[in-house]
Amino acid sequence: MSAKESSGLLNRKVSKRARALAIPTGLVMASVGPFIKRTAFAQTTVRVTGWTSSGAEYDLFSEVLQDFEAAHPDIKISYEPVPSDYPTKLQTDIAAGTVADVFYVDSMFAPDLMAAGQLLPLDDFMSQSGVSVDDFYPGLIASFQWQGQTYGLPKDWSPLGTVYNQQSLSDVGITAAPATWDDLRAAGQALLDATGEPRIMIAADPARYLAFHYAAGAEVFSADGSQIVINSPQAEQALEFYYGLYRDGIATTPADAGAQWPGDGLAKGLSDIVFEGNWLFPFLQDSAPDLQYGVAELPAGPAGKVTLAFTVSFSAFAGTKVPEAAWTVINYLTGPEGMLKWTSLGLAMPARPGLAEQWLQQYPEREPYLNSGEYARGWQLGVGGQAFYNDAAAEMQALFAGSQDVPTTLQRMQEAAEQRIRLQATPVATPTA
Amino acid sequence: MAVALARPRPSRNPIVAEDRRAGWVFILPAMAIFIVFVFGAILFSFYVSLHNYSLLSRGGAWQIFVHPGRTWVGLDNYRDILSSDDFWLAFRNTAWYALGVVPAQTFFGLVLAVLANRKIRGRTFFRTAFYFPAISSSVVISIIFLWMYSARGPINYVLRELGFPTPRPVWLANPNGIFAMLLHELGIEHVSVWLEGPSVALLSIMMLNVWTTTGTMMVIYLAGLQNIPGDVYEAAAIDGATRFQMFRDITIPMLRPVTAFVVTVGLIGTFQVFDQIWVMSEGGPAKKTTTIAYLVYVEGFRQGRGFGYASAIAVILFLIILALYFMQRRLTAQDYQM
Repeated sequence: MSAKESSGLLNRKVSKRARALAIPTGLVMASVGPFIKRTAFAQTTVRVTGWTSSGAEYDLFSEVLQDFEAAHPDIKISYEPVPSDYPTKLQTDIAAGTVADVFYVDSMFAPDLMAAGQLLPLDDFMSQSGVSVDDFYPGLIASFQWQGQTYGLPKDWSPLGTVYNQQSLSDVGITAAPATWDDLRAAGQALLDATGEPRIMIAADPARYLAFHYAAGAEVFSADGSQIVINSPQAEQALEFYYGLYRDGIATTPADAGAQWPGDGLAKGLSDIVFEGNWLFPFLQDSAPDLQYGVAELPAGPAGKVTLAFTVSFSAFAGTKVPEAAWTVINYLTGPEGMLKWTSLGLAMPARPGLAEQWLQQYPEREPYLNSGEYARGWQLGVGGQAFYNDAAAEMQALFAGSQDVPTTLQRMQEAAEQRIRLQATPVATPTA
Repeated sequence: MAVALARPRPSRNPIVAEDRRAGWVFILPAMAIFIVFVFGAILFSFYVSLHNYSLLSRGGAWQIFVHPGRTWVGLDNYRDILSSDDFWLAFRNTAWYALGVVPAQTFFGLVLAVLANRKIRGRTFFRTAFYFPAISSSVVISIIFLWMYSARGPINYVLRELGFPTPRPVWLANPNGIFAMLLHELGIEHVSVWLEGPSVALLSIMMLNVWTTTGTMMVIYLAGLQNIPGDVYEAAAIDGATRFQMFRDITIPMLRPVTAFVVTVGLIGTFQVFDQIWVMSEGGPAKKTTTIAYLVYVEGFRQGRGFGYASAIAVILFLIILALYFMQRRLTAQDYQM
């Protein structure tokens, strides 16, 4: 190519250089060769990425992808999971334009990506394929909608629930999971009196506290979405209760007890009551197979029952070269067949209400999780929500270390939200089901 | 001892000229990589620091070259940084870190070098053992220390067995300043944030860093020690100097250029600390281990205020290090003329 053309135009010296260049070019051509060959058989490659937290998760997802390939011989999937720091990798890949065609998007981070125009709108594909928004829980799919368009389909979801060690609770005469905040504190006190140790494990983490915040009637946004209203008397009541459990020695934290996270604490016998989602159960199966645990909804607060709904979508990159094939992949993975197989691992629940019955047959003890869909609130706080979350976590850590009191913490969380969250573009967090 | 070298005049000798051309050709690949990926990146980051640009900005980085007017914010990023609590918190964290780590690693590096320089049995073993942490992966070491510092880890175990109190919250989860804690014991509350001192969490990471870098400093000092001529010691011995006098009046003064180097390298290294923070604490708890370099990462890559803002912090960090370097050079001006 260039060597031949240039030799006539340029002097001998340069053409020597051009010949030297031709060698690496040839090598590159040779290495792309196989890929070109593949497209000759009219096979499209779709790159898929996401995070993966365990070997079992990786294996099952690979299996789902193989099922897809078997059903769609014209599409080949290249699965490239990111082992850690997924949001960082995703953002740098987006900036470089080398991001996968189809990837996971966490509900908290979704508004940033949607507002930046980095996700492919799916509505046209959905209507072509006969996929309706109504096939999914409205609160879940709303997390991936922006200005009237849909930018992702939820792959699964999980709320928070109470998981407890049945034996330990019955040892102190408690037969039912705590139904209210008062019950929870009483149960924690009874366990403390019996064992001399705090047996509830909570984390200084807004991703747990916020459920208590809402359950006290506190909010993050005003009803019209125009103001941040984190700091309120109800919030003070919620944080006072949540942090009070720790301050008064009724609850402990993973760091104090020597656990990685509350689920680890339950598995290691360092705690008896934790508030976690479905992801806890495959972990317990592995690390504490003999543990007899009970599952219940989160205890109701002064304003009733609330839990947080965590969800993740499959979305496509706005700049993908293969939008049709990417949609085919998304549609399969979030469709009845792919979703049912994926959720059979028990890490999370199907995002389609139509599959709930079948899933429940496999995991009957987790009915409380499914029931909490009625009052769950989406884990999403608008554009900048993820940045606010990082700041809010730091404030809660300072509170738990005794560096600042409850009113100061709420005041500073309020300031952080005002700085980080882009209000004019913020939808009000919606209940899930 | 400085020798004035005459600048060689370009030779007209064709063979020398050929050599020079060959020299250029040989360094060209390295120069090209340096110019594009180091020098170019530095200039780019300075340019970005004057813009409002994030990794998610539509159109990618080209936009700020093609339509610079749309993203241009002038010095706004700098103004915002200098008025933000997060930056000054990171500045304090980094300053405490450097203030603690640099003197400690310099002191221990010197002591170990003097010990490892003596003709004792197993000298090679000690030299290797002391240097070992420096050549191990900092990520692996950090993960091991995560376990050592945990509530049920060996450090707490030893402290408990010996009857000492263990910190609550546990080491790496404790954002309280150590001086603030001491003053609290003495009944003094509400100290200025500048006097709180490093947090227990930061102190834990500082101890780890001293442990890993002391070996490198030891090796540099060892080289320096071996450059001190033996006859100086012999002369001192004849004059009746004691071992300690020789150390104080010969070794330390003769090592001044080495010390200047060790302190400079140490300051630069501590002001740029990132990997241990990233692995061990992710800047927490309560941002009390967020160093300036880690803040750059958080604001740039972790859904923060964007790449422009993060680049501006990086430029400020560069200026801080540059200023420290010149200050330190002034203080030890004569040492460089050895």
